[in-house]
Amino acid sequence: MAIPDSLRKLIRLLLGLAIAAVIWEGAVLLFGIRPYYLPRLSTILMAMAATPRAYVDGFLRTLAETLIGFASGGAFGVLMGVVFFRVRALREMIFPIFVVSQTIPVIAFGALVVLWFGNTLLAKAIIAFYLTFFPVTVNTLLGLEAVDPKQVALMRSFGASSRQLLLRLQLPTALPQIFVALRLAASLSLVGAIVGEWFGDTTGLGVLLLQAMFTENVVAIWAALLAAALLGTGFYAAVAAVERRLVFWNAEQ
Amino acid sequence: MSRALASPSLAVQRGILGAVLLVACWEGAARGLHLPAYVLPAVSDILVGLWSKRAILVDAAGYTLLEALVGYGLGCLIGIGLAVAIALVPALRSAILPLATAINSVPVVGYSPLILLWFGIGVSSKIVMVAMAVSFTVLLSMLAGLDRVDRRAVDLMKSFGASRFGVLWRLRLPTALPLLLAGMRVSTVRSVIVAIVTEMLGAHGGLGWVIYQAVLQIDFVQVWAAIFVASAASLAFFGLIGFLERKILFWT
Repeated sequence: MAIPDSLRKLIRLLLGLAIAAVIWEGAVLLFGIRPYYLPRLSTILMAMAATPRAYVDGFLRTLAETLIGFASGGAFGVLMGVVFFRVRALREMIFPIFVVSQTIPVIAFGALVVLWFGNTLLAKAIIAFYLTFFPVTVNTLLGLEAVDPKQVALMRSFGASSRQLLLRLQLPTALPQIFVALRLAASLSLVGAIVGEWFGDTTGLGVLLLQAMFTENVVAIWAALLAAALLGTGFYAAVAAVERRLVFWNAEQ
Repeated sequence: MSRALASPSLAVQRGILGAVLLVACWEGAARGLHLPAYVLPAVSDILVGLWSKRAILVDAAGYTLLEALVGYGLGCLIGIGLAVAIALVPALRSAILPLATAINSVPVVGYSPLILLWFGIGVSSKIVMVAMAVSFTVLLSMLAGLDRVDRRAVDLMKSFGASRFGVLWRLRLPTALPLLLAGMRVSTVRSVIVAIVTEMLGAHGGLGWVIYQAVLQIDFVQVWAAIFVASAASLAFFGLIGFLERKILFWT
């Protein structure tokens, strides 16, 4: 067929979305669901169109927080994974502390971070970072440990340095595992950004959610949820696309 | 594994050393630099605060754990039930999975304002939130486990006349158990955290409520005390499920 593969996928996606929208609209009308529980999709979209600035600003602000937290958390996670892999003593000393740190409710942690750094973009990014780095550390470590020792021995016998070993063999082998964690981290960093905004801010999707709750405006809650869904799936899809590019040998599974 | 495993006792010793070093640095920084309590209270101050407020904190922890446990149980039942339904009636997969994925495209805490409006600020809204957070993870891990079954083993059982239910009960469920239990173990910490997060937006009690009140009163010793209790509660829950996992999966 002349239609390229990516275009066909896009068409199928749009078609799926259109069907979902029709089902939503139709179900609300058909079953007479009260707007208090589920408003009509068209009502929600019109509410968004009425004040587009708030949603666009909120979207961009939350996106920035998510991206910074994700990037720093991902980098730190991979770094700690490599360090723990190389230095067993450090791993045994610090890893348990990492585990315990993840049981601290993000709300409590957020309260402290906002206190330390003020109500800034940085504070929200740190909260997103805190949720992101741990799964990446764990999976990097798992991936590095799963490297076939025979391959390591082979490269060593050819005189590979530890650095070459890491860059040419161990990290590429661990990459699929790392990306599993990065996809999870994409969702988690958004959680961090949204929850971080609950500590009082003026723009952001979390702020929109909270304001809508205080005014008991269900339509506005759903509008913010839709925007968050768009951000979440878009970011997830972007990470997955990068994964298909980088881990090309693992693609057809 | 390329390197010999260090003896477990050495690992434990190093773990303890790490914890002691952390506490020492913390205490030293807080006392030595005279940090004000709102920046970082000393560990000893937190422990003293924890002891003096123990009645409130234990009450709050019980409240939160109750919400987390009930929601967790409910979420596990929903997740397992949906996965089994999909295994028995494969046509359901294309109906349930896209819907579950669509609901989950929003981070679960995003729903808390909506759930609070619908279910009020009592216990039920937290239970619903925890159940939502847990059920998706459990559904996915259970499905992965059910799908993992060896095709040939199914064919063998069918050739002996096993029904679809027989294959499910005797073969697919036992095969799925390790992945299911792993998913359930991961969900424990999450359920406590989701309960606490939802409590912060509105509740009559619980650790999240205590933390929020303490933040408003700028009582950061109490915030840290509540954090310690929350971590301990999460770890205990995690340990309990991990223990049950090892008991149930005696063959691994």
